[in-house]
Amino acid sequence: VSDPRQRRREIPEDIEVADPGLARERTRLAWTRSSISFAAIGVVLLKDRPVIGAPVLILSAVVWSIGRWRRAPGRGGVARKRILFVTVCVTTVAIGALIIALAGPPSHGLRL
Amino acid sequence: MIALGSRPRKEPPTSSADEGQNGNESASTEPDVRFTLANERTFLAWSRTSLALIAAGLAIAQLLPPFPRVPWGRSVIATPLIVLGAALSGLSYVEWRRNQRTIRLGEPMPHTHLPRVLALTVSVIALLAAAVDLYSKASR
Repeated sequence: VSDPRQRRREIPEDIEVADPGLARERTRLAWTRSSISFAAIGVVLLKDRPVIGAPVLILSAVVWSIGRWRRAPGRGGVARKRILFVTVCVTTVAIGALIIALAGPPSHGLRL
Repeated sequence: MIALGSRPRKEPPTSSADEGQNGNESASTEPDVRFTLANERTFLAWSRTSLALIAAGLAIAQLLPPFPRVPWGRSVIATPLIVLGAALSGLSYVEWRRNQRTIRLGEPMPHTHLPRVLALTVSVIALLAAAVDLYSKASR
């Protein structure tokens, strides 16, 4: 995690030179959206199952911060570990959801 | 998104804008950062799709009132949604790796099966949900 103020000093006057097509900015926003998706599931789980919901909320914060990691220049932003991390997180959440859905106590559902 | 569907070029289309990114020497081996980042965003979009499917499955299992006289009804709809979410997550990682390799080699983008898998499975689950609902009402 780098200091954004320090980074701003390195950026040339033309944003298209520093970040062509704003690709980095859009990718960071995509990470933010993904972290919000994790947060949504975490908050929903927090009500009935805080033991599962709280770790998912922590995952959300981790995903958000991964999106803000600085990419090594010249490496093409290759990020296999981050990608693998997200895959493992989503799969783990799916397994937890499956356990809740199949083995959890019977729910009467939300009465509206 | 960026034109990932077109053939990626090792030489960036606007080379003057990218020299600061890759450097002149590594430009021949390193792909244009924009293609790599677009690939990453595509993967993240599929991950969010997976999470949405998982959330939908959870909601059906926990928030939906049970179907009258069909106690297994909610599980039958929720389970394939969650399994599809997990499967799409793994498949999107495989696609990300494959696309990353393709970009690096400068080859044409390969065909993707993920949209078809998603559309077909969601359609089948929707029909399944309709069938469970009708069965629940008919057995009254």
